[in-house]
Amino acid sequence: MILQQLVNGLTLGAVYTLIALSFSLVMGILGILNLAIAELFMIGGYIGFTVIIAQLPLPLAILAGMCGAALIAIIIEKVGYQPLRNTPVITPMLSTLGFSIILQNVATNVWGSDPLQLPDQFLGHRFEFGPISIGAMQLLVLGSTVFLVALLAFVVQRTSIGRALRAIAENRDVARLLGVPADRLMLIAFILSGLLAGAAGVLVGLHYAAITPYVGVETGLKAIAVMVIGGTTRIWGALVAGPLIGIAEVMTVAYGGSQIRDFVVYGLMILILLLRPQGILGGARTDQGPRV
Amino acid sequence: MSNVTRRNFGSAFTAALFVGTSVFALHAAQAQELKGREVVLGAIVPSSGHFAEWGRTNTVTLKMLEKQVNDAGGINGAKLKLVIYDDAARPAQATNSLRKLAGDDKVLAVAGPLTSSACEVVFPVANQLGIVSTSQASSKPGVAKANRPWAFRNTIDEGILAKTTVPYYKKAYDIKTVAVIYDAKDATAATVGTRIMPAIVKENGIQVLNENDLLSFNTGDLDVSAQVTKLKSLNPDGVVVSADYSQAVTVIREMKRQGLIKPIVGATQLISSAILKAAPEIPIVAPATFYATQKAEAAQKFVAQLQPLLRKESNLPPEIEPSMYDANIYEIVGMYIEAAKKAGITAKPEDLEKDRVKIRDYMAKLQGFQGLGGPISFNEDGDAIKAFYIVEGKNGAWETKVRGCSSASGGGCGS
Repeated sequence: MILQQLVNGLTLGAVYTLIALSFSLVMGILGILNLAIAELFMIGGYIGFTVIIAQLPLPLAILAGMCGAALIAIIIEKVGYQPLRNTPVITPMLSTLGFSIILQNVATNVWGSDPLQLPDQFLGHRFEFGPISIGAMQLLVLGSTVFLVALLAFVVQRTSIGRALRAIAENRDVARLLGVPADRLMLIAFILSGLLAGAAGVLVGLHYAAITPYVGVETGLKAIAVMVIGGTTRIWGALVAGPLIGIAEVMTVAYGGSQIRDFVVYGLMILILLLRPQGILGGARTDQGPRV
Repeated sequence: MSNVTRRNFGSAFTAALFVGTSVFALHAAQAQELKGREVVLGAIVPSSGHFAEWGRTNTVTLKMLEKQVNDAGGINGAKLKLVIYDDAARPAQATNSLRKLAGDDKVLAVAGPLTSSACEVVFPVANQLGIVSTSQASSKPGVAKANRPWAFRNTIDEGILAKTTVPYYKKAYDIKTVAVIYDAKDATAATVGTRIMPAIVKENGIQVLNENDLLSFNTGDLDVSAQVTKLKSLNPDGVVVSADYSQAVTVIREMKRQGLIKPIVGATQLISSAILKAAPEIPIVAPATFYATQKAEAAQKFVAQLQPLLRKESNLPPEIEPSMYDANIYEIVGMYIEAAKKAGITAKPEDLEKDRVKIRDYMAKLQGFQGLGGPISFNEDGDAIKAFYIVEGKNGAWETKVRGCSSASGGGCGS
């Protein structure tokens, strides 16, 4: 059973990693915690589900989920972040919290509060490896997570957009003097985080073959813990911290009980904050740039 | 017939005629008296939050009933007005709603709240304010009993229902062992999962394989893979799932994904059409006092009237069916209307407190109210005495397997 629980933990960790990446992108580069990302993930999942239920191809569902979430991310940036960027750091955060509640209400009104379930075929084929059983959708989630982390790391480290984003994170005024269009880049950061959250929503929805309007809150909070533990300044941190939290959570449930699950997960986060505030893979404190 | 007998008969006939005429005149006078007034009743339903579907269908049900009553001439000539508030299934919000209904809206009685968690907080306030509050869904044992005389529930204690559910489940599927999984954040689910089901299952000679290590999850969890892997490793004959249906769907989908195809037993919280779609090949045994495909004539008429209205609502799924809690709240307001008609309320603002007492006393002594599944009355604990059904959900449909009655004697629920 331990091996099977490890697989369960890895898959759950991959889910957290995907959402943590979205948080990480905005937090690490722009220095703000966009709390609406958890709901972007949920809305992306619903949009993907709607496309799948309409019997359109799976890649189109993923694309629709990503674009839908990115579109909402643009609205959040234009309405909830840009006008407030010179206010105290708590203000845009509260603004994104407001968006988060609105999005949950929108989902409840559009899709209802009951779980939206996909047809049985989406539960997928399972592969048996001795005592371990792993579903096709679990493999898809695991594979996509590694791919998306690598892609994001490439974009941030190797492309001109990534270099510009890092320059803004380092010092917005200097970046502007050097000709970096800060406003446009901030919007791009929000779009990228929306695209990631949307993809995560569709993949996670496919994995469980069900989605509810409340999935964002629980999963989002765990993803924030993953981001903190992994380190907000390193993309790869989420890839390490996600499975760590996933396995810790699953093992706690299996051998300790659900009642102490959150104690373990958030206890771990507090411990990391106390002992290594920059996270497992986070760089030195001087790495962290000012808020844009 | 002798002269004396004839004289006696004549006197008796005259007296009966007088009493009959007086009663008729009294009723007519009362009907006349209420004309031009409003009978205001309140309802607390969760139109947002985790149980939004139930709250929204409850709202449609109540609006339908309000229209039906007013189209038929109202309550003794008075117009029925229903004031409905959303509590989002949050106890604090439910309490605020009750205070507002009692204080600002001056309602005669309140239907709701829905959840046991909300009832545990609202019922003591109802007692303090002196207003009847009747829940449409709470079934955690003892919640109304602890808050007499103003608290009622048009539901049956889960402990009573489980005593009929488990023997059927055992016999139908030859169950010798079970494993338990429950939602730890839901008051009713936690009570059923940790106390009621394990005890009754053992009483019936079934072994609980994880008796010392009951599995739980939290409301809102989408990932229950760890719990189901553990359930699977226990290899039980059946699984006790104690959760609201929307959470149970997550467990059942995961059971199917991991190939754990075992019959499920649970409480009334499982009854819904949505759960039947989760894994049609996994049988589900649960108790219900109403389900949409029930054969009773009154129930069928109710479904025929309500279902099209529900399906017209933009914020409800297009394939939605009336739920057990729609039936229950329909019956609750029906009882209040009957009480308003027969208990001699005046619906005058200055008589509000007296009218509330009359409603309470009428409810406490209620006998043979015609509910959708048969007659309804209340026991001393404030819980409904009504018919219930042990139903089996399989291949997408519920089917009645056993009919029972919640009274201690087993009678009083009609045939």
